[in-house]
Amino acid sequence: MTKKINILTSKLVICFLMLFILLGCSGGREINDLEIVIGMGVDKDENSENILLTAQVVKEGEMEKSSGSGGGEGDGKAFWNVFGTGKSVFEAVRQITHKTGNRLFVSHNHVVICGKDLALEGLQKYIDFFLRAHEMRPTTIILIAEDRALDVMNAKPETEKLPAMNITKLVKTYGFTSHFYKVNMKDFASCLMCGTRAPIAPLVGISQDKDNKDIYVSGMAVFNNDKMVGRLTEDETRGLLWVLGKVESGVLLISSPNKQGKVAFEILEAKSKVIPEVKDGKIVMHVKIKGKSSLSEQTTAEDLATIEAFEKMQKAQTEAIRQEIMAAFDKSKELNADIFGFGEMIRKKHINKWKSLKDKWDEIYPTIELNTDIEVKIQKTDLLKKPVSPGKEEK
Amino acid sequence: MSIEKGKICNLQLLFLITGFVQSSVLLIDFTVVITEHQTWMVILAGLAIAIPFILSYVALAKRFHGMNLIQINDAVFGRFLGKVISVYYIFFLMMTLSFNILDVGELYATFLMPDTPFIILLIFFTATCAYAVYKGLEVLARVSHLFVVVGVIVIVSTFLLLIDQMDFSNFLPLFELPFIRIFHGIHIMLSIPFGETIAFLMIMGYINKTEHMVKNTLIGLFIGTASLLIAAVRNTAVLGNTEAIWTSPSFQSTRLIDIGTVLTRMDFLIGIAQTILIFFKCSILFYALVVAVSQLFGLKSYLPLVLPLAGIEVIIAATVFQSPVDHAAITQDAGIIYSVPLMFVIPPLSLLIAKIRALPKAERGKGV
Repeated sequence: MTKKINILTSKLVICFLMLFILLGCSGGREINDLEIVIGMGVDKDENSENILLTAQVVKEGEMEKSSGSGGGEGDGKAFWNVFGTGKSVFEAVRQITHKTGNRLFVSHNHVVICGKDLALEGLQKYIDFFLRAHEMRPTTIILIAEDRALDVMNAKPETEKLPAMNITKLVKTYGFTSHFYKVNMKDFASCLMCGTRAPIAPLVGISQDKDNKDIYVSGMAVFNNDKMVGRLTEDETRGLLWVLGKVESGVLLISSPNKQGKVAFEILEAKSKVIPEVKDGKIVMHVKIKGKSSLSEQTTAEDLATIEAFEKMQKAQTEAIRQEIMAAFDKSKELNADIFGFGEMIRKKHINKWKSLKDKWDEIYPTIELNTDIEVKIQKTDLLKKPVSPGKEEK
Repeated sequence: MSIEKGKICNLQLLFLITGFVQSSVLLIDFTVVITEHQTWMVILAGLAIAIPFILSYVALAKRFHGMNLIQINDAVFGRFLGKVISVYYIFFLMMTLSFNILDVGELYATFLMPDTPFIILLIFFTATCAYAVYKGLEVLARVSHLFVVVGVIVIVSTFLLLIDQMDFSNFLPLFELPFIRIFHGIHIMLSIPFGETIAFLMIMGYINKTEHMVKNTLIGLFIGTASLLIAAVRNTAVLGNTEAIWTSPSFQSTRLIDIGTVLTRMDFLIGIAQTILIFFKCSILFYALVVAVSQLFGLKSYLPLVLPLAGIEVIIAATVFQSPVDHAAITQDAGIIYSVPLMFVIPPLSLLIAKIRALPKAERGKGV
């Protein structure tokens, strides 16, 4: 009997001790002590050679306030941009603790914006931290600022409370126009590691009208290895995305069959297939694109819902897409940056021939030929069958 | 004479083997550095080469039914040489177990609880394993199918959640790497998930019926390998050429899961599955080790050895390597060499000697 009681007490004591041991307190971090970072910007410090890191920290209190009782709170900014400088990104991140009193909590970091001066100098030495730090996510979006990242981080958006969230939203909805593309850390690293493929990243700038600063994404930065060498315009970017099969939607503008106005199509679907061909040192890339579109707007009075008009317009769309692709292709040749990943495609399909091409890829790339085979089908005319034309004008 | 009183049935053997092989799902990362996008074929080649050897383990267990590896060694190689070989096996089990405990420790220290002292993680994990071993083989066998189901669910669900991010052209070109690297990869694959099933020679003796052992072992192996394969395909298809740079490709690929910006941060799934599966593997290895040591010293029960050996294991795990870099280098290069004779030479050799000397019949009376 006493033995049983002894066992029972010892078990209870163990359970009691476990209360203290198993709480996992050693790594505990309370929510109100966290400096939740939602965006980071990396710049070159103007005065020294150091890095200027901007971390956008959420102010939890402000977030709640403005959602409840309208505005009128003066400078009710829901974020705090805190700066740190250092010789490396990590040093700067730790430097920030002098101002915050806490380690930054970067698990919710959505974007990393790099200043243009860093991009021109080479990003390889800066992105390591963003991939290595254990709270960082490989889904973090990378952007290049047209000028300085900290200006972008400072521009307060109108509807969103947090600039970084606003930028994330902008980039994630690239599909409406397909004029730029979402690139995350993993994709960027993957392109960088590839050796021949040129990484790209969306460019973000500030447009100033009256007293309002707006953030907008304006095409893509093109890198050669890790240095920014140029930029793609919006149309060129879509040309690139056509080839990669990443076009989700967008507006395709052509002139109407009688050349009197414009017809706008919405892209509904696009698929692509690229077949590389290497024949005695000559490389031809065969690009096959199949798309579907819908007639969304026309500025002429002519009746376009006829079989003949459809055929003509399908041809015109094909030509428009071809021009976009060629624009991107010409630009990539001009920059000598393999943004399409043609080298990768050849490596994957023709490994033996690739071995001899690899070393002089820079010289070979401008000699590549592109062969396009585009097919677009108009699927619907939305709510109208006939245009709104001024009645009986011809009779 | 037999140390273990419990018996396990054939179906339980199947799940034990499946779980054991499956639990190496993070350990294929050792191979990924070397074989990159060709890991999937290395896994298949490893399985194909391993099958004859594993069948030889089964044949041994069948021939010497009711006996464990240490007893078999004594019977086949005689008292002295048998003991020497048994010590070699015990050393192997000890190191393998501590490496696996270390894997869990590193997993937690890197991804899940970076601020917790390393040794605490090791102690708690080993204590849990020790508890499982204390309860005996039957208990472990009875819950084995639960572990396997959790593993399969996690691996398959992460695969499905990542399907939209997969790029199957990442597997091209099919044959790119020099053969020596593939060979190295196959060797690692052969030793780590498959060769370590040698520990089952400590368990197979307690199976109540020997009829379907071959079939069940093979099915177990196939299910386990299928899990490894799904994980390897997922990692390569999702991560592409960056696969080799991450500390843990499986973790990184599940971190990429992003379904409608809601279903994100799924790496905890890998954390859960890996803890459960490695716990399972460590318990089996620990059981094998404890029984082997007590058999070697002729103890009547293995229970008194559980705690001391657990302590030793923690100390080995905490001190054996300086860093994960050290760990990976040794496992990739040295670890697979010293274990070769144990996995691929001695078992077939024992079988051959037993055949020549017509052993089990002569020894059976003595054994029981």
